[in-house]
Amino acid sequence: MKNFVIATLALLGSGALHAAEVDQTLIKQGEYLARAGDCVACHTGKGGKPFAGGLPMETPIGTIYSTNITPDKTGLGDYSFDDFDQAVRHGVAKNGDTLYPAMPYPSYARVSEADMKALYAYFMHGVEPVAQDNKASDIPWPLSMRWPLMGWRWLFAPKVEDYKATSDDPVIERGAYLVEGLGHCGACHTPRALTMQEKSLSAADGSEFLAGSAPLEGWIAKSLRGDHKDGLGSWSEEQLVQFLKTGRSDRSAVFGGMSDVVTHSMQYMSDGDLTAIARYLKSLPANDPNDQPHQYDEKVAKALWNGDDSHRGASVYIDNCAACHRTDGHGYTRVFPALAGNPVLQTDDATSLIHIVLKGGTLPATHTAPSTFTMPGFAWRLSDQEVADVVSFIRGSWGNKGAPVSAKDVAGLRTDDMKTTSGDDLGQVTGHN
Amino acid sequence: MSDQDRDNPRREFLRKSLTLIPVVTLASTGLGSSVLQAAPETAPAAAAPLPAPAGVNAYQPSFFTAEEWAFINAAVAQLIPNDAQGPGALEAGVPEYIDRQMNTPYAAGALWYMQGPFNADAAPEMGWQSKLVPKDIYRLGIAATDQWAKALNGKTFAEQDSATRDDLLKQLEAGKPQFDAVPAKIFFNLLLQNTKEGFFCDPIHGGNKGMVGWTMIGFPGARADFMDWVERNEQYPFPAVSIRGERA
Amino acid sequence: MATVMKKVDAVIVGFGWTGAIMAKELTEAGLNVLALERGPMQDTYPDGNYPQVIDELTYSVRKKLFQDISKETVTIRHSVNDVALPNRQLGAFLPGNGVGGAGLHWSGVHFRVDPIELRMRSHYEERYGKSFIPKDMTIQDFGVSYEELEPFFDFAEKVFGTSGQAWTVKGQLVGQGKGGNPYAPDRSNPFPLEAQKNTVSAQLFGKAAGEVGYKPYNLPSANTSGPYTNPYGAQMGPCNFCGFCSGYVCYMYSKASPNVNILPALKPLPNFELRPNSHVLRVNLDSTKTKATGVTYIDGQGREIEQPADLVILGAFQLHNVRLMLLSGIGKPYDPISGEGVVGRNFAYQNMATIKAFFDKDTHTNNFIGAGGNGVAIDDFNADNFDHGPHGFVGGSPMWVNQAGSRPIAGTSNPPGTPTWGSAWKRATADYYTHQVSMDAHGAHQSYRGNYLDLDPVYRDAYGLPLLRMTFDWQENDIKMNRFMVEKMGKIAEAMGPKAIAVVGKKVGEHFNTAAYQTTHLNGGAIMGTDPKTSALNRYLQSWDVHNVFVPGASAFPQGLGYNPTGLVAALTYWSAKAIREQYLKNPGPLVQA
Repeated sequence: MKNFVIATLALLGSGALHAAEVDQTLIKQGEYLARAGDCVACHTGKGGKPFAGGLPMETPIGTIYSTNITPDKTGLGDYSFDDFDQAVRHGVAKNGDTLYPAMPYPSYARVSEADMKALYAYFMHGVEPVAQDNKASDIPWPLSMRWPLMGWRWLFAPKVEDYKATSDDPVIERGAYLVEGLGHCGACHTPRALTMQEKSLSAADGSEFLAGSAPLEGWIAKSLRGDHKDGLGSWSEEQLVQFLKTGRSDRSAVFGGMSDVVTHSMQYMSDGDLTAIARYLKSLPANDPNDQPHQYDEKVAKALWNGDDSHRGASVYIDNCAACHRTDGHGYTRVFPALAGNPVLQTDDATSLIHIVLKGGTLPATHTAPSTFTMPGFAWRLSDQEVADVVSFIRGSWGNKGAPVSAKDVAGLRTDDMKTTSGDDLGQVTGHN
Repeated sequence: MSDQDRDNPRREFLRKSLTLIPVVTLASTGLGSSVLQAAPETAPAAAAPLPAPAGVNAYQPSFFTAEEWAFINAAVAQLIPNDAQGPGALEAGVPEYIDRQMNTPYAAGALWYMQGPFNADAAPEMGWQSKLVPKDIYRLGIAATDQWAKALNGKTFAEQDSATRDDLLKQLEAGKPQFDAVPAKIFFNLLLQNTKEGFFCDPIHGGNKGMVGWTMIGFPGARADFMDWVERNEQYPFPAVSIRGERA
Repeated sequence: MATVMKKVDAVIVGFGWTGAIMAKELTEAGLNVLALERGPMQDTYPDGNYPQVIDELTYSVRKKLFQDISKETVTIRHSVNDVALPNRQLGAFLPGNGVGGAGLHWSGVHFRVDPIELRMRSHYEERYGKSFIPKDMTIQDFGVSYEELEPFFDFAEKVFGTSGQAWTVKGQLVGQGKGGNPYAPDRSNPFPLEAQKNTVSAQLFGKAAGEVGYKPYNLPSANTSGPYTNPYGAQMGPCNFCGFCSGYVCYMYSKASPNVNILPALKPLPNFELRPNSHVLRVNLDSTKTKATGVTYIDGQGREIEQPADLVILGAFQLHNVRLMLLSGIGKPYDPISGEGVVGRNFAYQNMATIKAFFDKDTHTNNFIGAGGNGVAIDDFNADNFDHGPHGFVGGSPMWVNQAGSRPIAGTSNPPGTPTWGSAWKRATADYYTHQVSMDAHGAHQSYRGNYLDLDPVYRDAYGLPLLRMTFDWQENDIKMNRFMVEKMGKIAEAMGPKAIAVVGKKVGEHFNTAAYQTTHLNGGAIMGTDPKTSALNRYLQSWDVHNVFVPGASAFPQGLGYNPTGLVAALTYWSAKAIREQYLKNPGPLVQA
C-alpha cells in the first residue's frame, strides 16, 4: 500500500495524470487481478523493482527476458488500453511483434473486457514507474526472428472473446474463469506438444487439460485432475483452499515452483475465489479409467516399528526422513507432509521427489500461516544410489504405487549445488557464532 | 586381548616408530591392533612402506611434535584401552581428534574469559582460574610428564610398559608430581576430557571412527528420532549413524 | 561520537522470551518497536538444521548457543570477605546468546507457580510465625497474586503450545488418574495439548513414587505432544524425543522458543524491527534521572550508536538486566552491610539434588531418548505442601525424572566407585549407559541478606565496563532442605529396586561450586514488590525510579521458586505488558505511587 501512495504522488508530481481522477476501486480491482495473474512473478527481475522486468527465462532456443510493465516510458508508459489489450490477450506487442508464448496470452484470451480495464487502470496508476530498458533476448539469429511466432499464434492462440459460461454452477464457473484465464494454471500444469503449445486450454478442450507437465526447472507440475494416485482425487475442496491460501494443508505442503505462486498470488485471493478455484478443479474427472482411492498398507510401518529396516531404502529412510515424515508415512498434520498416499510422490516421472530429497525446500510464510518450515537438502549426505533407494522406498511404501527409480535418474538431476560432500566443512567447531 | 598381548615388544617398537613414521599410525579406523600385529610378518623393519589397508587414513599431526604425538598415542591408549569390551581410543582416532582440536578457538582459550589478574591457586569450587589454555597445557604437560618419566628410568612416558604408564597416569590424576609449569591434575583432567570427547564425538570431528564409542554403549548417534521407542522397555534396534550418514 | 538513530516508541534490550513477548504486545498496541539483541540472528533453519545440529561436541561441550563469556562474564565470591574471581569458563549456569536467547536453548519445563510462593513471607509468617524465618533470610512477597496472573499463565501456555494434564479446570476435577497434579492451583482452561508420552525412566519413577505413597503427575512441557498452531498463527511440529534438547536448537520446531512461537508473527510487521549484533551498554537518562531517553549500544561493526526511545524494556537475562540497571544508575545499588538499596538485592538461585539409580540389562531406560520438558514428578514436598514445622527449614522442592536425553561425552555416569578411565570404566559405561534412571529434586532457593549482586571493582568486559559481581553461598537453610529432599527422594529411588544408587546432594559447610553445572535458573537482583525500599520494581515490573523503564524476567523474583521459572517469567511479562498497554500508554508515569 505504501508503494501505491508513493506511486500516486510521483505521478501527480510529474503531472502525467491525476490519480484522483482515476477510480480507486478500479485500481484496487486491477491490483487484485494482477495478483490472480501473478504478473509480478515473471515481470520482476531477481532483486529488482516490482514489474520492471528483466527476469531471464530459459527456453529451448535461448534465454529471453521479461519486459518492463511499469507505467514508465521504458515500460507501458505510452500504451493505450488497446495496446495493452493487444499484448495481454492477443500476444501482439505495440511494435507489432508477436510475443514469445512465455507470456500466457492464450490463457489471458479468456479474461473479460471489464477485468482488462481494471488491470489497465492498475498498471497505469497503481504501479510505481521504473525507468529500466528491456533486455534483448540471447536467442541467436535466425531463431531470433519473430515472424514464425506469428504463425504459432495463429495456429494455437484462441480467439479473444468474452468468456462464456459452460457450467450451471456459478461457483464452478468462476473457478473455470480464474483457472483457465488469469490464473493460467495450464501454463505449467498442462502438458505441451512438441510445438510448445498447451495441449488443451480448458476443461471442455480435452482430458489433457491440467493433466501434469514434463519436468520444468527440475520440478513436475502435477496433474490437477481427479485421479487419486497422482491428481487431486484424494484432496477435499477445503484442503485445496487451505493449500492455496496458506501453502499447506493437513497432509501437504507446497514446494518447488508452486511456492512462488502461493506467496505472490494465491494467498491474496478471496476465500470465495479460492473456493471457486478448488471446486472447479475438483470437477475435473480422473483420466485413469481404473482410478482407485489410496489403500493404506501397514506392512512397512509395522516392519519399522519392529526394528526391521532390511527392505530396500528403509535404512536410508530411517536415518534421514522418518524423524519428520514418520515410520508410518503419515507425517504430522499441517507441519510435515504425509508421504503415504501423497499424489505428488507417485507421478510417473519421479523428478520432483528426487529433487526435493536432494535440495530440500522451505515452506513459505503466508499472511495467515506465518511459520516457515525448512526441509534440509540431503544431496551432500546421500549417494545417487541411496537417493534412488529411498525415493523408491517412499514411492512403494504404505500403499503408494509409484514405480522405483535408479541411481542414474538421480545423477541426471544433480546440479553444482547438489553434490555429495565429505561433510568436513560442517565439522568446524568455532564455539560462539 | 590379554595384558601380555598388549605389551608385545614388537608392538611397543611399532608404537615408538609411529612417532617417526606416522603413516602407520594406529589412529586410523577400526583395524588398529590387528593390522599392527600382522605388520611385522608382511613388512620387515626398514622395508618398503606398508601398503595402507583400505580405508586407513594416515593422519599427520599438525600441532603435536613427533615426541608429543608419541605421548598422546600412548596415553589415550591407557585411558581407553582396546580390550574385551571392544576398540579403544587409538582405534577411535582420538589422537587425530585431539590434534585437530588444537587448531580450534577452544584450544587457544578463545571461548573463555581470559583477562587478568589470575589467581591460579584459587579453590577448585572457583572453577578455572589458570592463565593456561589447552595448547599450553598439552605442550607443558607432555614435556613435564616425559621429563618426570625419564627421571624414573630414563624412558619417556611412551616408552614405558603399559603397567608403568597406568601408574604414571594415576599419579598425574592424583596430582602427585609437582610440575613447575602446569599442575599435573589440570593436565590430566584436560587429557581425559579430550580423550572421552574424541571417543564419543561425531566422527565429523575426527574421533569415534567407525562409531566404535557409540556402538560400545548403544548410542544411536545423529538419527535423533525416537517417536516409536519412547515408552518401550526394549533394546533400541538400529545401529548408530553419523552426521555424514555413515552407519556403524 | 555516537551516531544517533531515529527515535522509536519502544526499544527492547534482548530478544529472548520477555523481549519477544513485549515486542508482540507493544506492536499490537500500535507502537514502533525496536528489539536490540547482542548476539547473532539464529533460527531453526539454518542453526537447527537436521542432522548437523545433532552434534554434542559443538553444542553441549563447546557450548555454541551460550553467552560468549570471552567478552563478558560475572565474577563470583562466597562472601564479602573474599576477593571475587571471574567465571572464566561456563559452569554452574549457562545464559543464552543471540536471537531467542535462553529461550532457544532451554529445555521446556513449563510450570505456573505454587500460589504461596508469590506471598512467601506472608504465608510463612501466617502458618509458622515470624521467628520461623531465619534472621538473614530476606524472602518477601511478589506483590501480585496467582488469581491476578492466572489469565496470563493461561495465555502464555497457549502461545508456547504447552503439553500437560490439568487437575482442576474452573473448579471441576478433570485430572485424577490421568496424570494431573493434585497440588496444582485451579486453571481457567486445560493445557493446549495433552501430556507427552512417558519414557521408561519416568514410568519407573511414577510407579515407585506411587508405591511410596506420593502423587505422581506429568510434567507440564513446552515440548509438544502433537502438532500445534498458537494464537499468533505460529506453528509447531511434534516432539519426537530426539534427546538433543537443552543446549540445542530444536530441529523439529517442537520446543517452544521466541524464534518458533513469536518471531514468525513479528517478521511481517512494518512497526517491528529486530537488530541482532547490537550490544547495549547502558540506558540513557535525562537530567532528572527519572526518565530514560533511550539506550546506547555497540553495533556489529563496533560503532557506538545512540537509540532514542520513549519506552525502554530491559528484556535481557537476569544477570544482564541487573548489570544494566547498575551501569545506568537506575535505582539505588544494594548495600549488604546497611541492608539499604535495592538493585542487586535478593539474588537467589535453585537448590538442586540428583540421584541416579543403576539397573540390570533387562531394564532398558534408553537414556538417549528424551525431551527437555518431559517427565513424571511429585509435588508432595514442593512449596508448603507438607508441614515444615518439625523440619526447621523454609522452602520446598518438586522431584522428578526429567529425561531430557543423555549424550555420551557428558551424559554417561556409572555407579559410585567406578574408575573414571581404563577398562573398568569402559565396561561400566557399556553396561549402564542405557540402564539407569536419573532423578532430581529441583529445590526452591531463598534470598538472604548476604547473597547479592553489584559491580566488580577489578574485572572489566570487552568494552571496558565493570563486570557484574556475584556474592553468593549456600546457607544453613539450604543445606538442611537439600538433605531432607535427598532423603525423601532416596526412598523413591530404592523403591525402584536398582542395583546401585549414586547421590549428589549438599554436605554441611559446602560452598557454591561455580564449575559444576546446576541450573541456569538465576533469580532476583531487580525484584518486584510493594515497597520501593525493598524492591527495584513495582508490581507491574516498572522501575520505581525511572518510570519509562520496565524490567521483565526472573530478575524480578524476590526468591527462587520450587518450579522452573520460565512459566512465571512469561506470565509476568504479559501481565506487565497489559499494564503498559492499558494504563501506562494513556498516562505515562508511575503506575503505583511510591
